[in-house]
Parts: sequence; structure tokens; C-alpha cells
Amino acid sequence: MSQSYEKQNPAFYAVIALLVFMSVGPVLLMFINSFKLDVDIISGTSGLLFLPTIQNYETALCDVLWYEPEHLDFCSLKFGGAFINSLIIALVSTMLTLVIGCMAAYALVRFRFMGRDTVSLTTLMVRMVPPAVLLVPVFGLWNNEFCLDKDGLIGGAIRDAFGGRGDVCLAGTHSGIILIYVAMNLPFVIWILQSFIVQVPKSLEEAARVDGAGPFQVFFKVVLPLIKPGLAAAAIFTFRIAWNEYLLASALSDRNTKTVPILIVNNMSEFNVEWGVIMATGMLLAIPPIIFTLLASRQIITGMTAGAVKG
Amino acid sequence: MLKTIKASVVATLMAGTAFANPYADYEGTTLIVNFPAHPHYDAVMKILPEFTKETGIEVEVDQLPYLKMRERQTLELGQEEGEYDLIAYVVFSKADYVYADQLENLAKYVMNPKLSDPNYDADDLIDGYVYNIGFAGGNKGYLEGKTGSLFGIPYGSETSVLGYRKDIFDKHGLDVPQTYDEMLDIACKIPELEPGMGGLSSRAASGHHASHAFLLHLAPLGGRVFDDSWNPIVNNAAGVKAAEALKTIVDCGPEGATNFGFGEALGAFLNGDTAMFLDTTVVAGQIDNPDKSKVVGKVGWALHPEGVRRGSQTGGFGIGIPANAENKEAAFLLMQWLTSKKGDKLVALAGGNPSRFSTHADADVNAKFPHMATFGEALKHADPDWRPIIPVWGKINADLGTTLSKVLTEDLDIQDALDGVAERTKAVMEEAGYYTWQ
Amino acid sequence: MSLARANRLTPWMFLAPAAVIMAIALIYPLGYMIWGSFRAWDPSQTIGEAEFVGLKNYVTLWNDPNFRESLGVTLRFAFVVVVVEMVIGVGLALLLDRDIRGMSLLRTMFILPMMIAPVVVGLMWRYMYHPTVGTFNRTLESIGLPTVDWLGQHALLSVIIADIWQWTPFIFILSLAALQSLPRSALEAARIDGATAWQQIWHIKLPLMMPVLIVTGLLRLIDAFKVLEVILVLTEGGPGLSTEILALRISRTATEFRELGVAAAMSNYLLILLLLLTMAMFAFTRWQEARAARIRAASEDDQ
Repeated sequence: MSQSYEKQNPAFYAVIALLVFMSVGPVLLMFINSFKLDVDIISGTSGLLFLPTIQNYETALCDVLWYEPEHLDFCSLKFGGAFINSLIIALVSTMLTLVIGCMAAYALVRFRFMGRDTVSLTTLMVRMVPPAVLLVPVFGLWNNEFCLDKDGLIGGAIRDAFGGRGDVCLAGTHSGIILIYVAMNLPFVIWILQSFIVQVPKSLEEAARVDGAGPFQVFFKVVLPLIKPGLAAAAIFTFRIAWNEYLLASALSDRNTKTVPILIVNNMSEFNVEWGVIMATGMLLAIPPIIFTLLASRQIITGMTAGAVKG
Repeated sequence: MLKTIKASVVATLMAGTAFANPYADYEGTTLIVNFPAHPHYDAVMKILPEFTKETGIEVEVDQLPYLKMRERQTLELGQEEGEYDLIAYVVFSKADYVYADQLENLAKYVMNPKLSDPNYDADDLIDGYVYNIGFAGGNKGYLEGKTGSLFGIPYGSETSVLGYRKDIFDKHGLDVPQTYDEMLDIACKIPELEPGMGGLSSRAASGHHASHAFLLHLAPLGGRVFDDSWNPIVNNAAGVKAAEALKTIVDCGPEGATNFGFGEALGAFLNGDTAMFLDTTVVAGQIDNPDKSKVVGKVGWALHPEGVRRGSQTGGFGIGIPANAENKEAAFLLMQWLTSKKGDKLVALAGGNPSRFSTHADADVNAKFPHMATFGEALKHADPDWRPIIPVWGKINADLGTTLSKVLTEDLDIQDALDGVAERTKAVMEEAGYYTWQ
Repeated sequence: MSLARANRLTPWMFLAPAAVIMAIALIYPLGYMIWGSFRAWDPSQTIGEAEFVGLKNYVTLWNDPNFRESLGVTLRFAFVVVVVEMVIGVGLALLLDRDIRGMSLLRTMFILPMMIAPVVVGLMWRYMYHPTVGTFNRTLESIGLPTVDWLGQHALLSVIIADIWQWTPFIFILSLAALQSLPRSALEAARIDGATAWQQIWHIKLPLMMPVLIVTGLLRLIDAFKVLEVILVLTEGGPGLSTEILALRISRTATEFRELGVAAAMSNYLLILLLLLTMAMFAFTRWQEARAARIRAASEDDQ
């Protein structure tokens, strides 16, 4: 693809260089600092002249390392466990949101039925609900109402199988956090996917239906493959929120289901601001989204524009 | 004759320990405990393996920052059956937990001969802290008194001391301040003598930090938050003076001091940005740690300066057994072991804050940490009533801290600001029923 | 017959999972919250045990200067952030709307800040704003300028800067997309008529982009009310209440002051505010669609 590029004057390139520096600079700074000892960060006489160390990463990952780092007396930061929790929660909720959201979006676009407008209006309305608003009710419900009696049939079985005490509640489980993330992301995913499904030519579906395919077959065999770019965009956005969210996770998780953002905020504890370790954990949390951005920036941008340009 | 009796007693005792290990019944139990992310409890983490080795009881620790810890505990203790077997709690949580019937009264464990160690020597625990942290139901509900009883044991006793840079003080021929006037004077002289250096680093960030810093000055300057019949008097002359002291300290402090939490305040001192530090004793370990500190060996310690009286803070943590715990007896054994003479000394040597007189006087501990003698002296002046420990304190504390932060950053008039606090506090107290009997 | 019924049920079967999940985890909690906002509710109680107090929580909040200040901070934050981001974002889009080598790489770099966790953004900026060891003050010092007390005296400004850093790219990308989908013919015509670059921007590009820009702005505005983590990590709402946005105050009221009822009432106030905004946005898109349909109809009539 040969394309002639306009010649730009040097000032223009200088502006671009500055912009790139501004947007990437802080991330780079964090990256560099995560390889410094605290003393180096605090004294910081030299920006780049220092002896890189992986000590901060060792501290962060001490619970999954196969050896015991020498500089640690005990492993207080259980980053590995939190990372796994984050992965489980983000991946499962992304999958569920996509499947469920996709089906709903399809129904909203393709079928004319009673209450369609109400449904799509509600979808749009709940999109604006901030997580902070959900904090109080979700905290109350997940801890007190959405519970199985420990003496009941299922609750008893769960207690026998997994141990633990008290009634079996959604709070403190992966499922509890996943449920709220799926619910929170659904409106957005439905909204984005609608704009992709609209573009699928109806004739294709009708052809499939003539060949004897049922509605579900049409959906999975014809529609889904055609909206792959939309799915990718929706997946990345859902993952981003589920991976990065702090507030609700901190209200719902217990010591075994902590996610990485919680761990980072906790680690900013006031007695000991260990910049190096904090930067290292921050970097580890940022890596998956950075990788996605680098690999799929086109899909992200499509998703963003689809979401906004089509109201 | 006497000798033989003694010998036989010793023999039986030894045989007793050999055959009836008090821990035997609980071997293999796993205790889940909730500790704060805090230097003292970091030291505890180092000595816990010793406990497991000795008793066969496993301990799983959930370490959280202390404000988070309280949120977590509120949730766990409120449930019918909780996860934690032993919790460390901040002093001011005592009122809430005891009031809501969420902590075990320790009497039944101390009375149980199978659990209670006869050599525990409870008299050796520092009185002020036992009453401040562990005791509830006495005078005013939170002080020592005939109607009270024990719900927890102090573990990680902190008080306030003044840390100062010996090198800076020597260089300019300054005397270590004994009184508040001297301290404030020096605090504002330092920036002139040493350009770029702040006088005293104090916490001042909005909320808990500002409130804490203010209360730190309030007690020695003769003030109190409430009078004897729960009327807020935080806005009297002493209160204003304390707020002025805080403002002076922050104004003459290091850059950005208005937004300092504890970590930043300490960080500034560790980095050599300030000449003095007035806060809890818990920092000593970090100041001597070359990985974190640029002032190793340059810091001297003195008592919290005197205003109209000596009155350093009583703070720190206590450990208690939640009423909804699963393994209460084993938890008591852990609690007893940690606070015993042996445990207290171990934790002191690992860098913690001991809670016993004997540990502060211990030769080994003093050899390792020469400042321990000063700290022991400071503990004697600790004021158990420097901060009220009542269930509604959290709300008042937040208001006080926010208002003071405004005084520091927005130049609110001090008297007006404190009058406002007093008025709102009065309303809170009224609603909570403190004036029912008036 | 049964086939017809199956067909009628199909859309509902497609919708059912989403509907059930949203009903359980969004609609029901919101109702629960409204119910709870009329109660004096402590975290250690279940909602049934909490005492019914009517509108007391709402009235208390309405008269609470702290709540009002926090509301003011929220509005100020959201408004400033959106205006500044719109101006910079659209400006950059107009500036960079050229065919240059590596544009896609450039866009990738720009969206990076958006993808990173707010918690991490907060800690990065907290470090950079640090009064003594932070990047900004070090730089200022090294070139001989006085240092700035970022998170103390200028906390709200600092928080706003961090948000601008993170979210301007969003506006930029959207406006760039809008610009590139403008009808080339209109621009071409303007150029032939001899319009200057400024005239093209003012009279052609901006008006044509306007629908997208308004939607973008509203989206950003709604999101600006969701910001919490960055501020939590940067300042925890301080100093004073200078950066305590409503979302943060809700979470503090619930967890620190342990007043779930008041927090619920506060959530409701925030929700009402956002509801008005969303309705405005919805009305706008409806109006826009109607207008587009009218224009289409008109052009079809012409043919």
C-alpha cells in the first residue's frame, strides 16, 4: 500500500514528540523506578544512573517465587495470589458479559417486540450508574441477603466441600465479584455490540433461515463470526474495567479473594511508603492492559468510536 | 527441708510440663488472625514461627493497613460466625467492639487453670496501656475504674517522643527542647539556620492525621476534648493554643507538610528534610535502618515536651478474641504467649514495641536499642485520656480532622473553626444520648 | 401454532440472561438502596433491623455544609475536566488530522493512559507530585524555579491535571474519527472557494463534528462522576474537603463513618444528578436521529 505522506514542518514533529513523551513518560518513569531501591528513589539525584535491581519484584512476588529472596524476613505481600484472583475474576466476567451481552444486543436489534424500547432505555440508564452508588446496596445485599443458609441443603453441601464457617454468602467469593462486574459491564457491551450487529446484512441471516437454521443457529453460526471486531473491542473494555476496578472489589472480597488493585491501595499504607515495591506492583498490574493496547489498538479505537458515534 | 520441698516442686513442675503440655489439645489447629501492616506487627511476623515450633499451633495472618483493618473487622465481627480467631485492634475501636458485644471478656480464660499460665505476671504489663487498650467499662466507660473488666491485652504500646537530629542541634548549639515554647521556637529557627530544612515534621493531612497531630499537642497544653459531663471544650483557650501550635509547626515544617500523612511525615525525617519529629515511638526501627533512612545514627530521643503538664499519647494496638471466633481457647494461648515476658522480649528484639516494664528494663533489649530507656521513661508520662474512646468518636474525629486541615490550608480562623467543631460535636453527643442524665 | 409461539418467545430467550443478571445485580440493588436511604442503617445490622427514619437522611445531608462542599467539588471537577479535555482533545485532533507516517502507532501510544488502572495512575501521579522526591518539584528545583505544593495548596488542580492526562486521549481519538469521516466533498468545496484553514475549521469542520462532539462530551461528563480511585490514591479527598468528590464521600460515609443510610441517601442524590444528565443525552440523540431522518427524507423527496 503505497501512500504519499504530506510533508510537515519540524515544529509539527516536535509537538508530536512532546505529546508522546507526555502520555508515555509517566508510565516509563514508573517502569524505571520499579527497578530502583527506595533509597535511590528518594535521593533520586540521578534519573537514569542507578544499579537496576529486581528486589522490588521479588518482594512483590514472594509468595509465588520458588526461592526465598534474601532481603525478606517474611512474605507479607501476597501478590501472586491476588494476581490469580484478578485473572480469574477478569477473565470469567469478560466471557460471561460477552456471551450474555451479545445475545441481548442481537435481540434488541433484530426483533421487534413489546417492551423493546423500555429495555434499551433501561440499558442506557443503568450505564451511567457509578460504582460508588452501587457500593452501599451491593455491600448490604452480598453480605446479608444473597446467602444460603449453612444448615440448608446447598449451603451445607458447600460448607462440607470447601470448609469455612457461617452462612454461604456471595460476599468474599469470586462469583460475588464476577456477578457485579458482569451486571455493571452489560449495558456498555450491549450498547457497543448493537452498532455492530446492525451492520450485519439481514439477507445473510434470512438465507440461513431458509436453509433451515433455527434462531440460535443463525446467531452463533452467522452473526457471531461477522461481528468479531466488535466482540474484540467489547472484550477489551470489559476486561479493562474488571481488571482495574477497586471500590466494589474492596467491599466484596475477603483475604482469599483480594484483587491486585486492592493490594496496591492497601500497600500504600501509611507506615511505610515503599515506593519501589508499589511501583513494581503497579507495573505488574499495568502490564496486561498495556499488552492489549499494543496488540489490539485498532479494535479499541473501533470500539470507542462505535460506542460514541452511534448513540 | 525447705530445699527438698523446693526441689520436689521444681521436679513436679518440670514433670508437669513434660507430660501435660498445655498446648497439646490444640496442636494442628490453624488460627486465623488479623494484624495491621505496622512495624510492630511486622516484628510479630518474625517471631510467629517460634510460636508454631513451640506449640504446634499454626497461625495464618491477614495483614491489612490499620484503617482498612477496622472496616474488615466491622464486617467480620458483625457476623454470626466470623473468620478471625484473634484480632489486633486500634485503641479507638475498643469502644465500638465492646459496646456491640463483639469481644470476649477475658475473665473466663484467665480463670481457666488449663489455659492460664501461672508465670504470666500480669502486674508487669504497663498499667496505663492495660487500662487504655484492654480495659472497658470503668470511669467514663473507657478509663480505669471499679466497674470495668478486661477485653484485650495491649500489644504494640506506643507513646509519643521527640526525635531530633543530634548533628544539626550540635552544629548550631541548640538545646533539646523541654517545653512547648522552646520546641516551637526551635522549629521555626531551623528553616533560617539550615535553608531548605523544615523544623518539625508532623502529620497534617485531612482527617485522622490532622486530628491526631492536634490531639498530640492538646493534652500537654492542658486541653481536653470533653469536660467531665461530656460537654465539648475543644474550643477553649488550650484548644486554640494546640491548634496554633500545629499551625506553627506546619508553617515552619518541610515543604508540602499540609498534606503529610504519617508516612510522608516520617519519610521527610528519614530523608533528612526536617530536624525534629514528634510522633509515635514505633518509628525507631526504621530510623536505624540504612535501607530506608539517611539519618542513621544522627537521631537523639527526648521526652515529649512539656506544656502545662507532661502528657504524651497512649496509642498502639491491643489484641482480643472476637466473640464469634472459632478457636477461642487456642487464640487465648497465642495471645498469652505473645504478651508473656518471653514473647514481649522476643518481639522487642525483633524491632517491636514492648508492653512490659521488665522488657523496657531488660539488658539485652537496651543493649540492642539504646533508646529503649527513654521510651520506657516516656511511657510513664503517657496520658490515657488524651483522646476519648467512645463509640461516636470516629465521626467527631473525622470532623475535627477535616476542619483542622482547612485551618492549615485555607487560613480559617482557629477560634471559629474550633467553635464549629464543638457545636457539631455537641449535636453528635446529644444524638448519641450522652446528655440523657443532665 | 407452537412454532409461532416459539418465535414470539425467541427474543425473550435471547434477552433473558442479561435481563436476569441486571435485575438481580443492578435494578434490585438500586431499589434496595432507595429503601435503605430511609433508614438509620449501621453496617453491623441487616436492613430489616435498621430503624425507619423517613426523609431524615436526605434532610441532614441537604443541611450538611460538608456534603454541599463535596457536591461543589464534584461539579467543579467534572465541569473543568470536561471543558479542558474537550478543548485540548479537539484541538489536537484538528492539528493531527493529517496523513503522516506512523499515525496508528501514535494513536496506540495515546490510548495507553486510558487503559491503565486508575489505581496505578493515582500512584504514578502521587509520586510525581511528591513535595520533595517527586518529578515535578525536582525538575522545577533543578531549573531554579520555586517548587509547588501540588497536593497541598493546589490539590484540586493536581487531581484535574491527572485526569486530563488520562482522559484527553479519549476525546482526541473520537474527534479524530469524527473528523476523518467528514464528507470530503464539503471540505473540497471550501478549499476551492479559497477558505483559509481557520475558516474551514470554524465554518465546516466543527459544525459538522458537533453531534459527535456533544455525545462525546456527555459521555465524558458521566464518566467524570465515576472517578474515584485516582483521587483516593492521590489525596484521599484532602486537604480539608478540597478534593472530596461525592463518590469518595459516599464510600467514606459507608466505611469510615459507618452510616449506610446516609451513604445511600447521598448515592441517591448523585444518581438523580446523573439521571438528569443521561436524560439530556438521550433526548439529544433522539433529536439528532429525528433530524437525520428528516434530512434523509427531504433529500429523497428531491430525487
